[in-house]
Amino acid sequence: MAGHCGARAMAAPLARRAAGSARWVCSAAARRPWRLFGAMCLLRLPRITQPLEKEEEEMAALMEQIELEKSLYSDHEMRKLEEEEQLKRKMESLYDEDEARGKTVVMAQDLEEKWEQMFLRFKAAPRITDADKSNDRMSLNRKLDSNLMLLVKQKIGNQELWLLPQVEWQPGETLRSTAERAMATFLGDRIQAKVLGNAPYGIYKYKFPRAIRTENNVGAKVFFFKAFLQSSDLSQAELKADYLWVTKKELGDYLKSEYLKKVNRFLLDL
Amino acid sequence: MYPSMTDVRDVPQWRGGLASHGDTEDNNNPCNRLLPFPKLSLGQRSLLSHVLGLEERAAAARENRLCAAGDALLACHRSYKSRPTHGIGKFKYLLPKELPKRRKEKVQMKEINAGTEYQYGDINIQMTSYDLCLVEHFAQYVHRLCNRLSIRVNESYAMPTKTNEVLFLEEKGSKMQLDAVLTTHQRVVQICGLSSTFAPILLEIIQSSQPEGVHLLMKQHTEADFKSRLKSRPELEELLAEMS
Repeated sequence: MAGHCGARAMAAPLARRAAGSARWVCSAAARRPWRLFGAMCLLRLPRITQPLEKEEEEMAALMEQIELEKSLYSDHEMRKLEEEEQLKRKMESLYDEDEARGKTVVMAQDLEEKWEQMFLRFKAAPRITDADKSNDRMSLNRKLDSNLMLLVKQKIGNQELWLLPQVEWQPGETLRSTAERAMATFLGDRIQAKVLGNAPYGIYKYKFPRAIRTENNVGAKVFFFKAFLQSSDLSQAELKADYLWVTKKELGDYLKSEYLKKVNRFLLDL
Repeated sequence: MYPSMTDVRDVPQWRGGLASHGDTEDNNNPCNRLLPFPKLSLGQRSLLSHVLGLEERAAAARENRLCAAGDALLACHRSYKSRPTHGIGKFKYLLPKELPKRRKEKVQMKEINAGTEYQYGDINIQMTSYDLCLVEHFAQYVHRLCNRLSIRVNESYAMPTKTNEVLFLEEKGSKMQLDAVLTTHQRVVQICGLSSTFAPILLEIIQSSQPEGVHLLMKQHTEADFKSRLKSRPELEELLAEMS
């Protein structure tokens, strides 16, 4: 049952984008020399849009102009035009019959001015937050326009390494639940993250150094899963003190090159 | 230039038959007309060609007495049953016979959700926003993205717009009501045949390219969604209620 679970998860073909060449041949061995880990890549989605490039801005301006020229007048604009004409007529010919009607009605121009006032009173939140300025990598408020992912310091063998949170696979559970368990161990139970799909996004396998390698323990395979953080407040205490939220570009500062290569393959940075 | 060149009497009067001044071949031969006037300006030449054109048409139409009455410029080439070219433009008899279409709404097709292939059935990607241009362009982008990724797009349609009136009740001295009229637009792209390994990737791509102000919703297509597009017929429902 255990072997079958593991084999089935591995035999699901990895999606086109993630790993082009990884096709698993399911050799039905009962006891495998590889140790399996499930790792979770927890992403905080961007909260604001990225600034436009120069060409994008020009294009946007052009499209807006086209749309404006193609569009018809809205109700408000029609009302405004009519009232302007009425005003002009009043000025020229000094009609008195309009007065009885016109005084109680709110003019479209007044409405516009009111809206302008409201707009000026509105103050947007700053795009570059304090966390950005202080480069506090532990907070979630940094870099609101890109994906942030969680890195945790873990002890593998003798070394303390920065990794995506991972936990060993227990026989009898699916790899996805392993990854969720990994997330729960590092961030507490009440994390609101959504995993899309049961298929892993990437795989990193490595062999143990010769000293530790045995017949049954050749190396380890780490399967990566992706989850999206739903709520942005992590008021629960972190169990492990060393954690970081980093963007894709900053990953290079922390991860080892081989590991980084595999992780970069499935990270989408639009 | 040469005022005496074209005499009115020389022009054949096309009124109920030909002019009486000569039915001979000499007169009707165009070449004979040109010879006495070797040097012509363009204007005169065009007038002459007009005259000669009239003559040629006159010659052809003399065979066909039926359109002798009429304007000089009438082209008399109607296909009568006696002519060999009768029915030359017909093509409907070559097309396959079309049966009259029955006006019946098709119920949706449902595919297996979790089978050995791990494929989703019909999925609706619903995009809602207050800004029409934005949501339309985004719907177009999603449609093209699915085309490029060879995902079958069943339908791409728009739901009717909903208009909301927003009333502000300000209580600063006099009670005022500021009205704002907001229109909500919704576009739906329906895809089918999405494999479960690719679905999260597609969702992530669409999510990361979502513009601001657009709500995105991906859900499976149900009968309720299908029915929401149809208009309800109150009279029919009344009659049905009366009957039962």
